[in-house]
Amino acid sequence: MALDQVDQAIISQALIAAAKEMGIKLVRSAYSPIVREANDCSAALLDVHGNVVSQAELIPMQLGPIGTTFRPCAELYPPETLEPGDFYINNHPYHGGQHVPDIFIFTPIFFGDRLVGFSSTVAHHLDLGGGAPGLNMAAGDVYQEGLIFPPSRYNVNRDWNGGPFERLVRANVRVPEKTIGDCNAQFAANGVGTRRVVELCEKFGADAVTQAMAGLLDYAEQRMRAAIAAAPDGVYHGEDQLDSDGVGDTPLVVRARVEIAGDTVSVDYEGTCGQVSTNVNCPFASTIAAGLSCVKSVLTSPDIPFNEGAKRPIEITAPYGSLLNPRPPAPVRARMLSAYRAYNAVMKALAQAVPEQVMAAGFDTTHATCLSHLGEEGYGIYLEIFGGGYGASAVGDGCDAVDSPLSNCSNIPIEAIDMEHEFFRVVEYALVPGSGGGGESRGGLGLRRVYEVLADDVEYQSYSDRFVIAPEGLFEGEDGGEAFVSVLRGNEKFTLGSKTSFRLAKGDRLVMSTGGGAGYGDPGRRSAERRAQDRDDGALAAS
Amino acid sequence: MSDRTRVGVEVGGTFTDLVAFEAGGVRITKVPSTPQAPHRGAIAALDESGLALEAADDLVHGSTVATNAVLERKGAKVAFFATEGFRDLLALQRQSRRSIYDIRYRKPEPVVPRRDTFDIPERTGPHGEVVTPLDEAAARHRVRQALQGGGYESVAICLLNSYANPAHERRMAEMIAERFPGTGITCSCDVTREFREYERASTTTLAAYVQPVIDRYLGAFERALGERGFAGRFSLMQSNGGRLPASGMAGNAITSLYSGPAAGVMGAIRQAGRSGYSNLITFDMGGTSTDVCLVQEGTPVLTSDAEIDGLPIRVPVLDIVTVGAGGGSIVWRDDGGMLRVGPRSAGAEPGPACYRRGGTDPTITDAHLVRGTVLADTFLGGRMAVDPALSRDAFGALATHAGCSVERVADDAIRVAEHNIVRAIQLVSTERGRDPRDYVLVPFGGAGPLHAARVAEVLGISSIVIPPAAGVLSAFGLVASDFVRYESRTVRFALDEAGAAKRVREQFAAMRADAEAAFAALGLTRGLVYTHTLEMRYVGQAFEVAVQLDAEEIARLDAAHLRERFNDAHHRIFEFDDSRTNRPEIVSFRLGIASPPPSVPALAGTDEAPHEALVTLFDGGERVSARRLNRSALLQAGTGEGPLLIADDTSTAYVPPGWRARVDSHHNVILTR
Repeated sequence: MALDQVDQAIISQALIAAAKEMGIKLVRSAYSPIVREANDCSAALLDVHGNVVSQAELIPMQLGPIGTTFRPCAELYPPETLEPGDFYINNHPYHGGQHVPDIFIFTPIFFGDRLVGFSSTVAHHLDLGGGAPGLNMAAGDVYQEGLIFPPSRYNVNRDWNGGPFERLVRANVRVPEKTIGDCNAQFAANGVGTRRVVELCEKFGADAVTQAMAGLLDYAEQRMRAAIAAAPDGVYHGEDQLDSDGVGDTPLVVRARVEIAGDTVSVDYEGTCGQVSTNVNCPFASTIAAGLSCVKSVLTSPDIPFNEGAKRPIEITAPYGSLLNPRPPAPVRARMLSAYRAYNAVMKALAQAVPEQVMAAGFDTTHATCLSHLGEEGYGIYLEIFGGGYGASAVGDGCDAVDSPLSNCSNIPIEAIDMEHEFFRVVEYALVPGSGGGGESRGGLGLRRVYEVLADDVEYQSYSDRFVIAPEGLFEGEDGGEAFVSVLRGNEKFTLGSKTSFRLAKGDRLVMSTGGGAGYGDPGRRSAERRAQDRDDGALAAS
Repeated sequence: MSDRTRVGVEVGGTFTDLVAFEAGGVRITKVPSTPQAPHRGAIAALDESGLALEAADDLVHGSTVATNAVLERKGAKVAFFATEGFRDLLALQRQSRRSIYDIRYRKPEPVVPRRDTFDIPERTGPHGEVVTPLDEAAARHRVRQALQGGGYESVAICLLNSYANPAHERRMAEMIAERFPGTGITCSCDVTREFREYERASTTTLAAYVQPVIDRYLGAFERALGERGFAGRFSLMQSNGGRLPASGMAGNAITSLYSGPAAGVMGAIRQAGRSGYSNLITFDMGGTSTDVCLVQEGTPVLTSDAEIDGLPIRVPVLDIVTVGAGGGSIVWRDDGGMLRVGPRSAGAEPGPACYRRGGTDPTITDAHLVRGTVLADTFLGGRMAVDPALSRDAFGALATHAGCSVERVADDAIRVAEHNIVRAIQLVSTERGRDPRDYVLVPFGGAGPLHAARVAEVLGISSIVIPPAAGVLSAFGLVASDFVRYESRTVRFALDEAGAAKRVREQFAAMRADAEAAFAALGLTRGLVYTHTLEMRYVGQAFEVAVQLDAEEIARLDAAHLRERFNDAHHRIFEFDDSRTNRPEIVSFRLGIASPPPSVPALAGTDEAPHEALVTLFDGGERVSARRLNRSALLQAGTGEGPLLIADDTSTAYVPPGWRARVDSHHNVILTR
């Protein structure tokens, strides 16, 4: 029996609300600042086939390929063999996962004896062992990046709550109370999603709920196709580059060929450079997420739910062995950097198709800062993710100091850092005047942080980009400003690279500045009113 | 005293409502609001009502003036002072976006632009220790440079870790007051003492931004009252559900943000309470939106997680969830073919299609006219002419697209709207670990009673209490509300630390003494009631769960009991507790002090002749024949079986088949099934 269209609407909205509730509860019951303050986590509801039906809008990078992460689990352990209490877990970059810290957990939802779907969460875990606390820039392969959970099935009662799997994890990580606590928050959030779906089944029947899930996929697909069809057909090319792999100084080029044909889009990353020996390789699941997010952001209204259905009209391919589809066991921890250039290359291609709908290149980089210290009471690990300025668009200036488009991490409050860590202190947090590229619309401003180091032997590990190659202005807009990091030690100054580690000493000042976004349109056409505002609010560099 | 007049004046977005209780009965007046000069609308309502203000001893006012000042960015010119290195806090915010795929994203606009932000050399640590002493000479110099000739009406100070030790903020305030007397000064430690500097700075700047606006507004209002011979007590509604004498609003103006929805909740609590109901879900549906709130044992739930226009406010406010589902909400079909309601509203201009003001978009009000659940001849008590044919026309295109009748689409639209409301209620109930079936639904506002029964069915609620004069319940709520004030303190310690229970007792005792003194200064000493709330979490978490304790519990408190209370509360919300591996800690204390008004008058329906008729309406896909009657007719009949329409001057209730209605001795209409 076909589902009544109003029931379809009602159940769809309830599924979207349930995923959102899962996300909120995951954040609010988590332990590590990277989840509870920075919100580096996501949540989704899946149908029995592992298609993402609805999701909490948290981190685009994690959301795009949840289905891709699910499938290897289901192939090994078919869903029909699952029992209550079972769960799938996967963080394997070469089996559908992204980078090692992002652990995906899937909980089957049973209504009576019937499997009706899965609730799933992913969280960035502060530390999963590996060669250095929190982040190991020296990793030469994926094994040095932390504990790998291949696609697996466990049972939460038998293996987790005090069981052997939990004990194994606990023994192999540096801050077990946070890692285990965050896993527990993931299980609990999955429980919330499960409960909401069961309640819907009780009210509407399991048939209606599963039909509504299928309908919600079709609905998103239909809206996505309508949006794509409105864009002009054609083949468009775009290109962007990373400064380097962090060892050499050769830029890493990413190319995209984007074809819009009727109501479909295909993105092919042919022509992208080969994989590298450092951790900027981007697993294919992450490449898919980057391409999808760009197409979705540019062509559709933010109101369209992003699920597996919305992905159907979009095909993404990348040559095996390239930066965007590496062979194992290449390290991948900083995969976001290459993913951003994959995003930028598609954006530049789409700029030719729909110039009014795109934005100029922004800082568009994950600037990850990790500080760690082994004190008498164990490890202190601080990890924070920074964005910078957004690119400008036809409708306005780029957003200042905001996390980059594929991510959405909040900053960690200075007062939360003060409570948590005694080996360093943040002494400045500010906008960077002058970092936004000029234009009819100007690029957003980058941000600046200064850390005062309060102990000896503090390990600094970081990855970032756009230290050398600035984001490119669009339609005569100017380039955005570059990022930099330096360390002040007495009268000495060390200039650090974008992908590096450094041993800090007591009294050092670590100064970091992220880049601004590029401008859009001829700066000569900027209105007098907006110029005056730039001047009054100090958006311009003091020169 | 009880023969004196009590007056509530509520300024809303469209109408200003007045409810006056006199020896002779109740007087209800409704006049258009005057958004350009809000106090004029309120004074006009007083003049129009013909009240003798000399005889009034209690006048309570609820106003959107503070809310509008923020939404329209028409507040005071504020200078913001932060710790050196952190003046950009307001622009940086939390770095995240609310809409993750929106590449044209803009952050919420702070009420203080960057050019008006300054910093001073000092730093306090997380335990309240001074890391860098306040450099007074430098601070004085910067204050002078910043404020001299700047034309600032108000100053906001928010320094890092001041929640743990406010000494530097206080010293800054003294220095500014010495040099620039007459400038309003708001310290973060006086507004909210919770950690997270951006949220605290946002709250502090909002407070500084609205304070001069409220001061001016109250000044003008009090003068106008004085000219009319009023010599009683004048008080103002707050968003926490209580009121404060006007003199108590000095330094407290931020609590008047969003006071309107709070007044309705308080009115619902009083009126349902007379009939013996104390566990309520209130449901206020007006022209553009619906506000819902959960009430536990007569006490509305508070949250410290509110925001206005995207800017956080960390003061306790009623936990009210708003959805864009009101009478004016527009019904539309999106490009994926899904039927949607709101959040866009036809507002008052042009209004629903039936208003004959040129609106062509179908709205929920139009849907009711098409279904026959609202009748043209009794619209707003017959005071407003509407044209149902225009409503039918407006739904024409949607019906053609769906290949069904106009009635069917209108009926579908109402079901979608009702489920939007259901989700809002689930947010305040199921998502907070409360089962809606344990509550009665209390609908009010112009449109609440029309939808209550169907909303209750979906939620499994079996009783509904519809107050009399449901359309002006908020104005009644003003007069019915207590005087209330909350104090919060961040004092962190784990439950397994020595003497934890004793510290809880002592902290609350100290806060009670402070609150009592503050109330005494406002002349409030009668029947004081305290509420004690601990904000708790497991060590390592960042968000707190509220645990409410009564006075008796505190007297015999031990750590084991408190641990159990917290584990239960955590489990209720998150469906798990970490008692196996983690230790609970207390993060902050919140004390509420309340003093009741001298007496709360009773709200009654207006007397009218019994009236009854037979109508045809469309509901749930079927055409049904229903009785339409007024309250007097229902009272006369004793009980009525649905389908029924019960109409009074301010709203209409729909009683579907399967429900039974009666009027109880407190003038409430009770629906059961």
